[in-house]
Amino acid sequence: MNERRSIGKTTSLYVALVCVSALMLLPVVWAAVSSLKPLDEVYQFPPSFSVSTPQWSNYHEAVTRLPVLRFLMNSLLITGASVVGAVLTSSMAGYALARMRFRGRRLCFALVILSMLIPAQALLVPRFLLYDTLGWVNTYKPLIVPAWLGGGAFNIFLFRQFFRSIPFAYNDAACLDGATDWQTYWHIILPIAKPATVTAAMLSFVFNWQDFMDPLIYLSDFQTYPISLGLRMHQSMAGTWANLLMATSLIALVPIVIVFLVSERQLMRGLDVVSGSSKDEM
Amino acid sequence: MTSSPRSVVRFLGPWCVGLLMLTAFPAVASLVLSMTESSNSLKTEASSWVGVEHYRNAVEFNLDYEPKSADPIAWRLLGGKPIDEDLFRSLVNSITYAQLSVPISLISALAVALLLNRSSPGMRFFRGFVYLPHLLGGVATIVIWSWLFNPQFGWINQFIRLVYRVLDPLVQIIDARGTSQWMTPDWLYSPSWCMPALLLMSAWTMGGAMLIFLAALRGIPKTLYDAAHLDGASARRSFFHITWPQLTPAMLFNMLVGTVFAMQAFAEPYLLANRKQDDGLLLFVLQLYRVAFEPPYKLNYACAMAWIFVVILAVMVVPIFWTARRWVFEPARADA
Repeated sequence: MNERRSIGKTTSLYVALVCVSALMLLPVVWAAVSSLKPLDEVYQFPPSFSVSTPQWSNYHEAVTRLPVLRFLMNSLLITGASVVGAVLTSSMAGYALARMRFRGRRLCFALVILSMLIPAQALLVPRFLLYDTLGWVNTYKPLIVPAWLGGGAFNIFLFRQFFRSIPFAYNDAACLDGATDWQTYWHIILPIAKPATVTAAMLSFVFNWQDFMDPLIYLSDFQTYPISLGLRMHQSMAGTWANLLMATSLIALVPIVIVFLVSERQLMRGLDVVSGSSKDEM
Repeated sequence: MTSSPRSVVRFLGPWCVGLLMLTAFPAVASLVLSMTESSNSLKTEASSWVGVEHYRNAVEFNLDYEPKSADPIAWRLLGGKPIDEDLFRSLVNSITYAQLSVPISLISALAVALLLNRSSPGMRFFRGFVYLPHLLGGVATIVIWSWLFNPQFGWINQFIRLVYRVLDPLVQIIDARGTSQWMTPDWLYSPSWCMPALLLMSAWTMGGAMLIFLAALRGIPKTLYDAAHLDGASARRSFFHITWPQLTPAMLFNMLVGTVFAMQAFAEPYLLANRKQDDGLLLFVLQLYRVAFEPPYKLNYACAMAWIFVVILAVMVVPIFWTARRWVFEPARADA
């Protein structure tokens, strides 16, 4: 009897999980179905749940109607440059906060946490005026340079938590062998912290790829638009070309899905360490 | 061993420059800007000191105005009309959005985390499915949702129509008209349904909070449950006396992050706001953007708005911290 009950329980668990996953997939499936419909079928009432004849040429049309490939390349450039800077500078700061001894270390860590709580929007106007004075408006600098200056408080926090979980004997041994701080960081500690590196890289990739407000404020030439702004341009035509808009949206999501699939295992480990240890910091 | 100052500077240098140049200096500049008025808004040279005038304009109420029944409830409660109606509206909307989206997301995140917290096969797969939308949330998915919510051609209303059709025979027993007169929501084209639409979208991206809950659940020592089981505790008692207390730190973290995040929403209202909503999706950051970056570029006033926003955010977040001691469980620390 007990066994039958547990079979029933397992079945209902899986049914519940499949329902949740289906809800999570719903927008993506919807976009995929809409993107393959011919235009008259998209504006058909009542809407159908399937496609009669998938029209794959929609994807070709979607990327040629607007310079979508150009937008993707721009996004890739901005995101790539930001990710490298964010991972490098945030891991350096995290390393100093976790594994170097100096006066003011606690203060620095408190400042990192504090800066995490300041909403970026509060500094929108002064930052704009600063970049304007520097002549950076209409360039990629406002989108990339901040990543090279600390790479985000959350990433610093993530690296610091991860570095702290690595035994300190590594540092002592490296020190005895005459290694400098930089050599210890670069050749010993950073390679061990692969889950943290992958997690930080993944999260900055997603953050920069999805960023909408900064490009909107700083870029005005549409040849330089990243895909998020390109989609916005596309959206103004939503009334007329919903199928192409759905196709472009799906194309914009592909890089994120790929990056997620590649990094999933490390990402979960990295986030586990941070959320596990955030407990005793709060 | 203490590290040499030179190498400390080397490691912390980039972050330090960023903190000074991109946070500390702009914060001071913003405070000064909020108390000055420039003749040419993009050039700050020719500016004059105006003190707290911008702040007063932002928060002042016209108390001579007699609120009518059609006016927002908040006006009637406060007995007047705000001078800056749009700002007031946007703050009310943002606070409403945060206060509703955070509980909705956290409850669904916790429910899913409890489902996923076991070692049955396939859990990693399902976890990926629930987490992925958290990463996908951005312009592309906002655009997809807006089309999904289309009152006529979208699937959501089509589902609702299907449900009505199924219910129709039952309803006819009571009411001969059946469900034929029932309405489907206009979602993003309606002042009252645009906020629920936004809340549904935010619930869809609850995967990040779910992952935090899941990590916390996995950190609970199994021995606690074994002991409770031996003592004959029911599943409900185990949940409220073991699982819940151990989850409270993750709950605190998610509440703080969720509130700050919801108050900062910008892409959603920017992309989804339209005339038919009657400003129902005018969230604060959108209003800030409009004031600062759309003609007549009131940059100084925008700075004052930003500081009012910071104060409101603090008022929302600080009580969570204060009460945290009462409800957040602190495990006896191993190293204490």
